[in-house]
Formats: sequence, C-alpha cells, structure tokens
Amino acid sequence: MDRLNKRIAYLSAAPILILLLVFFVAPLLVIGIYSIMPQKSFSLLAMPDFSSYSLIFVEGYLKSLFWSLVLAFSSTVILFLLCWPLAYAMAKIFNRFTLIITIAVVVSLFVSENIRLFGWLLTLMKGGLIEGLLRHYTGNGFEGALYNVPIIIFGLVYVYFPFMLFPLMQGIAMIAEDTRQAAFDLGATRWQVLREIELPLAAPGIVVGTLLSFVLAAGALAESKLLGGQTVIVLADDIETAFTYGQNWPLGSALSMLLIMIIATIAVFGISRVDIDTIMGRKRS
Amino acid sequence: MSDPILQLKNIRKNFDTFEAIKDISLDIREGEFLTIVGPSGSGKTTLIRLMVGMDEPSSGEIWLRDERIDKLPANKRPTCMVFQSLALFPHRSVGENIEFPLKIRGVDLQVRRQKALELLELLRLPQSYHGKRIHECSGGERQRVALARALAFDPEILFFDEPLSALDYRLRKTLEKELKALHEKTGKTFVYITHSLEEAMVMSDRIAIMKAGVFEQIDPAREIYSRPVSRFVAEFMGEVNLIPFKIAGKVLTSPGEIMLSKSVTSDISGQLKKANASCGTIVVRPEFVAFGKGQAADFSVEGRVLQDYELGSRIQYEVEAAGLGLVTIEKLRMDMFDGKPGDQCTLSWAMSDCHLIVGE
Amino acid sequence: MKPSYSTKIVLFAYGILAIIFLYLPLLSVSFASISRARYLTFPIKAYSFKWYTKAFESDTVTDLVIISLKVASIVTIVSMVLGFFGALAFARYNWRFRHLFQKVILLPIFFPQAVLGLALLIWFNSLGVIPTWKTAIISHLVWISPITTLIIAIRAYSFDSSLEEAARDMGASTFTIFREVTLPLLMPGVISAGLFSFLLSWGNFPLSLFTTGADLTMPEWLYAKMISGYSPLVPTVGMLSISVSLFVIVFAFAVAHLVRMIKQARI
Repeated sequence: MDRLNKRIAYLSAAPILILLLVFFVAPLLVIGIYSIMPQKSFSLLAMPDFSSYSLIFVEGYLKSLFWSLVLAFSSTVILFLLCWPLAYAMAKIFNRFTLIITIAVVVSLFVSENIRLFGWLLTLMKGGLIEGLLRHYTGNGFEGALYNVPIIIFGLVYVYFPFMLFPLMQGIAMIAEDTRQAAFDLGATRWQVLREIELPLAAPGIVVGTLLSFVLAAGALAESKLLGGQTVIVLADDIETAFTYGQNWPLGSALSMLLIMIIATIAVFGISRVDIDTIMGRKRS
Repeated sequence: MSDPILQLKNIRKNFDTFEAIKDISLDIREGEFLTIVGPSGSGKTTLIRLMVGMDEPSSGEIWLRDERIDKLPANKRPTCMVFQSLALFPHRSVGENIEFPLKIRGVDLQVRRQKALELLELLRLPQSYHGKRIHECSGGERQRVALARALAFDPEILFFDEPLSALDYRLRKTLEKELKALHEKTGKTFVYITHSLEEAMVMSDRIAIMKAGVFEQIDPAREIYSRPVSRFVAEFMGEVNLIPFKIAGKVLTSPGEIMLSKSVTSDISGQLKKANASCGTIVVRPEFVAFGKGQAADFSVEGRVLQDYELGSRIQYEVEAAGLGLVTIEKLRMDMFDGKPGDQCTLSWAMSDCHLIVGE
Repeated sequence: MKPSYSTKIVLFAYGILAIIFLYLPLLSVSFASISRARYLTFPIKAYSFKWYTKAFESDTVTDLVIISLKVASIVTIVSMVLGFFGALAFARYNWRFRHLFQKVILLPIFFPQAVLGLALLIWFNSLGVIPTWKTAIISHLVWISPITTLIIAIRAYSFDSSLEEAARDMGASTFTIFREVTLPLLMPGVISAGLFSFLLSWGNFPLSLFTTGADLTMPEWLYAKMISGYSPLVPTVGMLSISVSLFVIVFAFAVAHLVRMIKQARI
C-alpha cells in the first residue's frame, strides 16, 4: 500500500515537473549558453568567448545592478516596517476585519500591475487626483511627485505589499499566544518580547516575505519605467533593451545570468532554511 | 498567623454579559500550597489570569502584601506562572529558557549560567541538558525545565495552570510528589489550579473548591473530604453516598426503608432544628459502609448486591438498597464481601463516620 | 498582555488606510475613464461615457479582449489539472523527493517575470517556434501552475489521510478512492485555484509582454500605450479589464453561495 502511494506520488509530480523542466529549466540553460557566446551571435554553436561578461564591467551595467539592488533593498525594508503592525493585527487582534483586508488585498492583486501603477501616475502627476484637487480647493499646487527615486520605491512598495503582508501574517500566526504571555510574565517588556520571542518565532514568515519582496523588486521593470520616467535605469531595463532594441542576445543573457545568480543565491539560501510544511499549516504528527 | 501574602478583595470579572467571577475574596498565606479546584467553566483559569496580571478584574482589588497590584501588568508583577502548555520557547535551548528571566534583567552571562546549572540540579536534570533543544526533551523533562525557568525568576508567588494535565498517569503521580517536595524545599508560596481533585489532595495545604465563579469551600484536604459544606463539594470530592432527610414539625422522615438508631434521630433533628432548616443530607463515604450489622450501626438498610468492580487495592460494590437507590461501597481486599452479585445483604454505618449538610 | 482599546483603534485605522492605499489608484483610473477631456486634469470638468462607446466600437479592443480571454481560459483549465496532481505530490504523499519537489515548485514564483518572459522568448526562438498567444499560454503556465499547486496543497494539508485509508479498508480500488474521496475533498481548493489562475492570467503583463509575438493582450496594449503614444482609451480599457476581473470574482462568490444554499436545502 505504501508502495502504491509512492508510485502515485511520482506520477502526480510528473506533469508539472515536465512543464517546468521544458519551459523553465531549459530556457534558463539556453540563456546560460547564450551568455558565453560572442557579441550579437544568434547561434548557440559559436566559439564561446565570455565577452558579454567582460562587457558588464566595462559599460554602465554595474550601475544598473546597483540601482536594482538599492531599490529592492530599500523597498523591502520599508515593506517590512509597514507590514509588521498590520500583519500582527491581522494574525492576532482583528477577527472579521482580517478577512476583509485579506479579500481586499487579494482582489487588488488581480488587477494588472501596470493599470495600478498607471493609476498612481494619474493620482500623483501635476493636475492629477491629489495635486489637481489640492490646487482647486486651496489655490496652491505643487510640481507633481513623479519621476524620482523615492517614487520608484513607493511603486515597488505598493506592488509588492501583498507579498510581504501575507507571509508575515502567516509567520506571526505561528507564535503561540502562551509563549508571548510567558515572556511577559517572566518580566519582559514589550520591546524585549518583540526581540526575544516574536521576531525569532515569526522568522520563517519574515524570511519568506523579505525574500519574495526583495527578489521580485530586484527583477521589477514597470515601476521604474512608469513612475520613475528615465530617472534611473534598472538591470531588468538593460536586459530588455539588450534583447529587443540592442538585438544582442549574448549580452542580454549575461545580464540575465547576473540577476539570476544574485536572486538564486538569496532564494536558495532562504528557502533551504524554512520548513514549507510548517508554514503552510501541515499538522505535526 | 502571619499576614497574607496575596489578598483578593471582592473580585469580579465580566465578559460582556457573562459573569465569570462573582465577588471572590481570598487570603493566600505566605508559604502555603493552595490549590484551586473546579470543573471546567468554573472560572478558575480566569481567576489565575487575574492574579498573574494577564487580565484586569472588572471590579475589586488585589493586594500583594502592602501594594495594590490589580492594575499592574504581568511583566511588572513579582509573580509568575507555569502554563498549561508550559510555553517553553521552542527556539531556545533548555539553558537559555531557564536563563530567560535573568537575561531580561540584564544579569551577567556567567552569573546566569551558574544559576541555570544550579536549577537543573535542583530539578534533578543532568547539567548536560543546558544546551539541549526543547523538542529533544521528554514530557516530564519539559515540566522540569518550565519549573526551573519559573524559579529562576525567583517569584514571590508561583502560579500553576494545570501543568500536569497532559502527562500520563504514572508520570503525573511522580511529578505531584516532586512538586510537593519542591514546595517544602523552596519555602515559596504555590498557587495551583487543576480540575483533578486527586492532584489537589496529594499536594496542597489548602484546597479551594470553585463552582460557577464562587468558592464553595476553602479548607485542608482532609476537612473538605470529611466535612463538605455542600452536596456539590461532597460529590466533587469523589464517590459518595448522599442520603436526604426532611423534618416537618418534630417528625424526621428518612428515605426508603433505612433504620436509624434513636440517638441518631434526635441528633439529626436537633441539628436541623438548631439551624432552622427543613431538610438536610447525610454524607457517607463508600469506605465507611459495612456489610452486616456492626457494633455502631446507627444507620442500617437491607439491599442486594448488583455489581462489583475491581479497583486494584480496593473493590467497589454497587448495592440496590431498599428505597434508597444505589449505594456505593468500597472495601479493601482483605475485607471483601463474601458473596457474589445478586446476593442479599445488610448495610450499616456509624454516625461518627458521617457528616450532615444542613439545608438544600 | 492584551492590546488596549486605543491600540486596537489605531490598528483598525491603519488597516483602513492600507485598503485605501491599495485602491486609490484605481479610483483615479475610474474617474479618468469617464472624463470627457482628451488630456486629463483633476478636478474633472465634464463627465461622459464616450470613451466606453469608442472602446466597444473599436476592433482593436475586441481583439484584445478575445485574445486575453482565450489565454486566460486555457491557462485556467490546464493549471487546475497540473495543480491538482502537483498538490498531491506536494502535500499528500510522503515520498523521497517531496521536500526537493516543494522547493522546485516555489522557484518560478520567486523568479522575476520579465526575465522569465525573455528567457522563454529566446527558448521559443531556438526551437523555431514563432511566438503567438499560444506561446503566452505556456509562459503563463510556468508561473501560474506552481501557484495553483500551492493553493490546492493548502487544502490537501487539512484533509485527513485516514479517510483514504478507511475507503481502502472497505475494499475501494485506487481509482474509486480517487474519484469518491480524494477529488471531492480537494474540489474547493481546485476551484479557488482555477479562479486565481484565470484572474492572474487575465491581469498578467510581464510574461505576456515577451511571449505573445504579434498578438496583444489587454495589459500589454495598455503598457505599450502608457510608455509611448498615449491614448485616451487607456483608462477606459483599464477599467474594462478591472470590470471583467470583478465580474468573475462576484460571479464566483455568487455561485459558491448558491451551491451552499442548495446543499443546505437538500438536507
């Protein structure tokens, strides 16, 4: 019987694994191979010369990488600070309201992210919802809030809000109420309970939330393009340009590999530290 | 008698419209082992949460010696509690758990490590457990770690919220005795809540029986067992036979075909009259009922043995007594009834082994 | 240590603010879609539905809707099947590579979608496949079927494996158990996963951007118009896209409610 179950398990895993093998692993391998091809090559069989990788260091691509990481890092930190109190309240304090917020956040996810960012464009631009109404009612306007670095971070925080909120909530829900109470009872202050008990016990949720936000923000494209104008060029922007206008696949591949490597290092490091069964609510046997 | 260490004065606690605690006053003596016993829903958990500081009473005062503490949160009170779930910190080692209250106070690493090792020894855990993970410990070991952690806090009063309820019978028995010994060794005031009377009887100096938000009786175990103030307490304290009496004018009516000696009849009517009550209940524990008519047979009744149950050291009989319904009898193996279920028998017992509850 | 009343009020207000934060931009879009002016400024001077009329008459918009619908529908069906079996392997059975499998499944979700789209574009090119809306289905599936797997897995975690064992004990065959026990128990998870996949595919843009070739989905067209060559139809088409999502959600909740009512009525 156990053997039968195992066979069913392998069979069940097969379809999605095949999909991922052919359309996730294989494309990444091809990118890997293209990244060592000579410049502007459209063949996978040319003599490898690694020229794209040296190009990364010569031209301004490190700056793009720097911006991608800075933007991802700042938005992740801000997201954590913004989401913690709300996630906490959703996990421990609210009852019905948790469901309402959850539905509201999930439904917002179903609206294409570029429509939502476009909405911020209309909200924040000169003559937009905020500035336009402000000027109409007070007589004093301002020069729109768009096209700078803070607004890109704002966009990232907005788009990846759910990806921090839900894992944090899940992590906080894993803190047993008694454990907190015991710590208080043993004389700990609010701050000490947070540092000694809540943060370590919510760690799996924190790890997943920060990883998810960081990784997605590092590869994000639309925020800097739509809200940031051309203030900064991020790595994903360079990758797109190399593949499309530049028609330089090896360069685009090398830049992709750079991003993938950074993300993979962080993701693998993080995911390996977390027990997925526990986070998703499997009962311990 | 020294001044009480903790005083509850007219404590009430309401949850919306539900009155969980109804006007409770209690003096806890310095150094005693007090157990609060009650069925689930009696309000004992609510009460302990108020005493520890996890909730505030709706009205009333709590005094710790000369200080009023009912508005103080748990982390500002010099008391602490061992939780039902134990609430050990799963991300910390055994040693770190024990050192937690000291770390919170900023005690030096060396000092607190020393203290943790001392506590491990006091609780008879090997020193090597200092670095062990919580999930590597057995149920009994976890109990000891939780105790050690609470003792490291050095509380004025140590509270316990049914910490033994999840353990198996034998381990529970061992730990009950250890806890009693620990109480004597440390000299601290222990306040323990449980729904298990057996647990309360083994360990406590005094037992408080709680029912629906009030105390029914607060006395030492022996006193509660032999002189319960109400039918509820009598039944809660284990197997018991309750025999109701009524008095109208001067005539005492006894139920069924029970025979009373003259002196007993006047004794009971006298006590009832004195209290101006129209009825009362005689409480007799199963072990005091004898088969056959003994010398001091103040009460006697005919009956038929229905069933016998093996309890190990004792045997329990269910006897259908004439007009009384079921009477429960327990005998040590050496005093076994020499008959079998279905046999007729005479039951008798002495007034000196009974207790009279006056009133309903 | 219970939070005080004032703390609760502050947190409640914070929650409301978060919801406003999420929906404020959509409010702007909806206002913009009914503004008569070609170039929008607030406060809006004149309201009109003329852009909606224009959108409904436009062949471009009709094509966009049809392609987006085709992609989302097929993605939904396929990802439900993939996710169902994936979830069994993810949560139900203890097999040797389960933990590895779980991590592999998570990888595409953690992967930047734009880069995934580009990688797939190169891959299709290398295979000699010309990208159309059909290739977009595949790119959506790579991202969405792991998500459906997770959603169904949550349901699978909560079900008691002794139910299957009991069925087997009573002599049911593997196929019967599957049909009579496993499938019905996981069905709520499968349906909500289907809902998610439709909505996520409908609104997806970074994957579509690189893998639809000459075909365009609604989010793609919107992006193109936002970046260059602004059209006053942008807010309107945006609102149309949102309306379809909303309609699907409301419809799903209504059906769920109806099914529950019918079940109760039967009992």
